[in-house]
Amino acid sequence: MNLPNNLGKSTLLACIIFWSILALEISDSQMLPYFLLMVIPIFICVTIVIVCTICPVFWLLQKDSLDKIRIFKTFFPYYAICAFGICAFGIISTNFEIFVTAFFTAAYVTTCQSWVWFTKETS
Amino acid sequence: MKHISILIAAILFSILFYEQSIGLNLALFAIVSMVVLLCQDASPFKEKRVWVIAAAYLFTAVMVFVHDSTLAIVANCISFFTLVGAVSQSGTSIYIYWLNGIYSTIAGAFHRQVDRNDASAKSSWKQHLDLKHLAKLIGIPLVFIILFILLYQHGNPVFEKLIGKISFEFINFQWLLFTLMGYYLFSNMSQPVQVEPATSKDLKLLNALSKSENFSEAPLKKEHQLGTTLLGLLNLLLVFYIITDIVSMSTSEVSAASDLSNQVHNGINTLIDSIIIAIIIILYFFRGNLNFYAENKMLKIISFVWIGLNVVLIGLIVIKNQSYISSFGLTYKRIGVHIYILMTLIGLVTTFLKVLHIKNLAYLFRKNLQVAFTLLILLSGVNWDNTITKYNLTQADDFDISYLINLSNRNATVLEALKNERPISETDKRAIELKYQNYETDLQQRHWQEFTYESFRLNTNSKDPDSE
Repeated sequence: MNLPNNLGKSTLLACIIFWSILALEISDSQMLPYFLLMVIPIFICVTIVIVCTICPVFWLLQKDSLDKIRIFKTFFPYYAICAFGICAFGIISTNFEIFVTAFFTAAYVTTCQSWVWFTKETS
Repeated sequence: MKHISILIAAILFSILFYEQSIGLNLALFAIVSMVVLLCQDASPFKEKRVWVIAAAYLFTAVMVFVHDSTLAIVANCISFFTLVGAVSQSGTSIYIYWLNGIYSTIAGAFHRQVDRNDASAKSSWKQHLDLKHLAKLIGIPLVFIILFILLYQHGNPVFEKLIGKISFEFINFQWLLFTLMGYYLFSNMSQPVQVEPATSKDLKLLNALSKSENFSEAPLKKEHQLGTTLLGLLNLLLVFYIITDIVSMSTSEVSAASDLSNQVHNGINTLIDSIIIAIIIILYFFRGNLNFYAENKMLKIISFVWIGLNVVLIGLIVIKNQSYISSFGLTYKRIGVHIYILMTLIGLVTTFLKVLHIKNLAYLFRKNLQVAFTLLILLSGVNWDNTITKYNLTQADDFDISYLINLSNRNATVLEALKNERPISETDKRAIELKYQNYETDLQQRHWQEFTYESFRLNTNSKDPDSE
């Protein structure tokens, strides 16, 4: 598993989604340095989520000669449904607050795409 | 062609839902969804059950428009997922419809990235076009140009003035993102995927039980003895309980709402415990080979008696709840008790059928969930706020007016019409009038996407004063 590559791509994707949604609200160019600095917390969040929730599935199950596509097809649906449920709950419970919406949208799309990248690495 | 139809649907999605609350838009969305599903692949609609689910989906969409209730919205969402799941694979159980429907809708695009057989699935134009390179070619320079423009902006005043004149305000980026979400949704639902191995396992799982290879009469005889003794004693106990309950109902005079409430709630708790234990015990004894044991007739009869006694218990609770309702009026909780009792009755009937026709646990789950789904669809067709208000103001002996005033605005018209039917204080009358005025104002301020049946009715009435 090429974890650094996945983390890099996931951070970039999360930043694009997060900024795309937030850029609508904060159009002042003075905020640009803060936007760039946001890469650091986004990278930390992405790393924690991917290492704690996606990697263990592959680390534990690849030993059982389950190929990556099979792991993906068996476990990703439940992961996606749970992640969507948590993110939707987070967004709705804050009454669609823009920062929270951006955070959870980025988190959901990034984690799902991270699964795809892990699965397609060697297959 | 398929992409164009999805794109049109996505634009319609934004027109219908962007910055709007629920109303006519959900009904129109249901029609758009049906059209997209039929345009993409009409073959699943050859199945009768898919048409039934599609009809249920359209029914709930109409009910959202007519009643504008949360229950109708929830029923509409569930039937939408059911329909997408049925289109994905129509031969499975209802819970697999839900699983496939939810998964297809929220993560179908990710699944297809892995599922896609690159050689066959990529269309010819995609093979010739390097999309990744194209994205880099446009994306990377664009990002850096924007970055440097923002950096140079404060470098010299002429440049700042020129840049300041550029305005993209005519583009509603949020609307575009919303349309993108609509495209994602329609793209996912038009190409439903399946959760494996859950789908294939469910297709293989039949409803009937079969005799296992290690069938032996000796342990079954002991299990039969245990079952007969246990269920026989429980039957006796339940008969005793029912007799005392009938005696208690016929002799005691209950006038206070709190006493009757306690009686109903205690009865319901007894019912919950009794039914759950009854079903677990029956399922345990009839889980396998005992179904095929030649001398199991007595156990079956005792089980059926046990189920029958539980039905009697349900009948007693219905009487108590109904007398509670006729004395102190309808509330959501009291309706909930009736619905719970109905579902319990259905659970007992399906357990009876399971034992009678030697079915497995999957049969029980499938049938009970099908019934629960049907019940949800039917219940969404009722304006409960209206029903509660009408019943309490016309038939109940006593009622709580503040409860009726605090219900959603959907009962405002009935409340206004019937406020003089019963003795109500002037303060409460004013509260009812205020509620009705607020409701009218709310309906008048709605956009066409948020219209409900009441909006049209109000418009017609306001245009035609003679009808008042």
